[in-house]
Amino acid sequence: MSWISLEKAEKLKQKFENITVNENNGYTTVEVPKENLISFLKFLKEDPEYQFKMFIDLTIIDHDVKSNPRFQGVIILFSPEYKERIIVKTWATNEELPTLTQIWPGAKWAEREAYDMFGIKFEGHENLVRMFMWETYPYHPLRKDFPLKGYEEVELPSLNEAERGDQLEGLFNYSRMHTAIPTLEDLEITQKARMPKKSSQIVLNWGPLHPGTHGTIWFLFDLDGEYVQKCDIIIGQLHRGVEKIAENIGYQQFIPYTDRMDYIAAINENHAYVVAAEKLMGIHEKVPEKAKWIRTMMAELSRINSHLLWLGTYALDLGALTMFLYTFREREKIMDIFEGITGARFTINYFRIGGVFADLPYGALDAIEAFIKDLPERINDYERLLTRNRIWVSRNKDVCIITEEDVYDYGLTGAVARASGVPYDLRKIDKYDMYGEVDFDIPIGDTGDSYDRYLVRMEEMRQSVRIIQQCIERLRKFSKNDPYFFEPEDPKKLKISIDGRGMKLPQGEVYASTDNPRGELGFYIYNKKAGIKPYRVRIRSGAFYNLQVFTKAIVGRPIADAITLLSTLDPVVGETDR
Amino acid sequence: MGIKKVGAKPQTLVEKIFFLDFMKGLSTTIKHLFKRTITVTFPYEVLEPTIRFRGVHGLRNVDGTESDDFMSWVKKLKIKPPEMGETRCIACKFCQAACPVPELFTIKAKKLDVPEDHPHHGLKVLDVFDMDLSKCMFCGLCTQACPTDCIIHTDVYDLSAYTRRNWVLNKEMLSEIADDFIARRGKEKFDEKSRWREDQTLWPLDEEDLRVRAKLWDGNIPQLGPNYLDQNQNNQSN
Repeated sequence: MSWISLEKAEKLKQKFENITVNENNGYTTVEVPKENLISFLKFLKEDPEYQFKMFIDLTIIDHDVKSNPRFQGVIILFSPEYKERIIVKTWATNEELPTLTQIWPGAKWAEREAYDMFGIKFEGHENLVRMFMWETYPYHPLRKDFPLKGYEEVELPSLNEAERGDQLEGLFNYSRMHTAIPTLEDLEITQKARMPKKSSQIVLNWGPLHPGTHGTIWFLFDLDGEYVQKCDIIIGQLHRGVEKIAENIGYQQFIPYTDRMDYIAAINENHAYVVAAEKLMGIHEKVPEKAKWIRTMMAELSRINSHLLWLGTYALDLGALTMFLYTFREREKIMDIFEGITGARFTINYFRIGGVFADLPYGALDAIEAFIKDLPERINDYERLLTRNRIWVSRNKDVCIITEEDVYDYGLTGAVARASGVPYDLRKIDKYDMYGEVDFDIPIGDTGDSYDRYLVRMEEMRQSVRIIQQCIERLRKFSKNDPYFFEPEDPKKLKISIDGRGMKLPQGEVYASTDNPRGELGFYIYNKKAGIKPYRVRIRSGAFYNLQVFTKAIVGRPIADAITLLSTLDPVVGETDR
Repeated sequence: MGIKKVGAKPQTLVEKIFFLDFMKGLSTTIKHLFKRTITVTFPYEVLEPTIRFRGVHGLRNVDGTESDDFMSWVKKLKIKPPEMGETRCIACKFCQAACPVPELFTIKAKKLDVPEDHPHHGLKVLDVFDMDLSKCMFCGLCTQACPTDCIIHTDVYDLSAYTRRNWVLNKEMLSEIADDFIARRGKEKFDEKSRWREDQTLWPLDEEDLRVRAKLWDGNIPQLGPNYLDQNQNNQSN
């Protein structure tokens, strides 16, 4: 496992006196007093023995209203040199924390989110505004004293009622009262707060409902002629409070909600959550091999599915309509296979904590085999159309370069990091499921421009085909009677079921992540005591952090490059907003 | 650790002058010009959903294919032993407990109003079983929780309605949907003990459906065979 060893963490005590080091089945956490936090993190980042250069995540745990201090900051870092992770914790006394943006600029959005959701103030943050909610919203929804249903204070009848006179009162729990919604004035205030000082006469708004933004993202560009001087992004139009839902629902029941985060690669979202929960239970190694092979295969199919959609819409945005039609033809085949195996084409919910819910149906491996035999030739077709096309090259080459430094500072992961020359791939580092036993290469780019990001994703599809081939070979050797779901030796001690009723997870904490098509998707689960509901679930979204670098990489580039950059970063709003 | 550098060589002068990049691209496009269409003309051609498809729910009735422990569940929950054609639901609310959106179910059982000497005295029957499908995610957890294999997913997918009211299905509607589905495709999906068949196929194998499905597979739809060495040839004849 890719975590710092206890001995190495203990050594930190020589340098800093009042820190405590804890180890919880393989996950090392260090608790630092707030006063020392910045110097401690600087040391971690710069000391040649540690080199925790890469910022992974920052979040807050609310330890209930009664506890004092109430909020605890959790920072997760990664050391690319030693391939290790560490969790640093600190208590946010007076609901304040020092900002990390001087050390990692990428903490900017994470701190905004912590302020938005928990009301923690970060001293020294350049512009601490809300991340998801509008500026005039009075509450901090992820606090434990905020009710799951919110405060219903606006009357908002259904259109059926208002226009058709349809009586809906008394129909199930239908209510006309809704939680607060932003008005146009609220949105204007939000927009002004994001860009308090503008240098040009107008701020160009792009989105939130523009086909080129691939979802509801609202961009603000401060322009000098055609060149972007400053940029900020307003997201949150699709914010559904998935983390809050997770804290109020059973473990198996949460899987369908993860489908709806990154809906393009639903299987990979299931995968990350399932792996995290299994690691918390300590059964990840014991999950039946057949289930693990099936999961690996399905996850890679889903990656191809996601990359095909990316390629189609990316080319469509840059004016190559045919690509969209070609990739959707291939996508349809994958969806057809998914429908046959899992029963759904899009929001799949096939994985379970402990395996998968059903074995492969008759003929599934043949269909997948036929598909991947065909796919490399199709990818060659796509490349013949695009890779050497002079219009394509001139719109992508040297456009919006993301450097290696940016990757560490902003916590970029996935294809974006790899295109900048950082071979950060959790399938190799963590080796979850069966990725340790399959053979594949990590494609990495050279300069980190849009063209490299394009080439890396194309190569990733080919590597996925390789992985699937190996999975099929191994799966063929199993018997139809081999288990596909984990059965505990002592069902009284550890209850685990496919439908998830009465399933309990032990006390403890875990951060586990998988390599999603959009970057590292991590789940941080913190359980105060064993129970059927988690105490705190933090979702570290790769798309969220990847989108953040947009505001930096676009500076100094013409406005037309915004489309190229956004497409090559490939965020999905369901995951950035959660 | 395998690392592969990606990159493409810059265009050569010959390529630039003779527009070879465009020529190559055009050749691909022209190749596709002679291919058959892959779209299914929906209302005229209908692609049958796969066997595992998670569509609108149904409540199965007793038809002699119950699992062996069905009667013990009925006894445990003090339900009146159902006769042929009556619902299998025993109002245990396991589906609600497994549901990610539990408020979409309304399940109530009522005590039978019979005199004390009647054999059914003190037993209950299912009274209300309403599902609000506008809240449903079609995740399938309820069907996996059901101990009597009562609630199932069918292959019905057209759910559009003019008002929210029409998304609320009661137990009669659900029974009807299930009966219809079981009559059409029950044998394909369930075995004689109402469990999922082992030899469920990836997609339906009847000729008409394969013809339509072949379109979206570019005309060469893969032949389905066993996944594992010891898997039998499927017997889809019934």
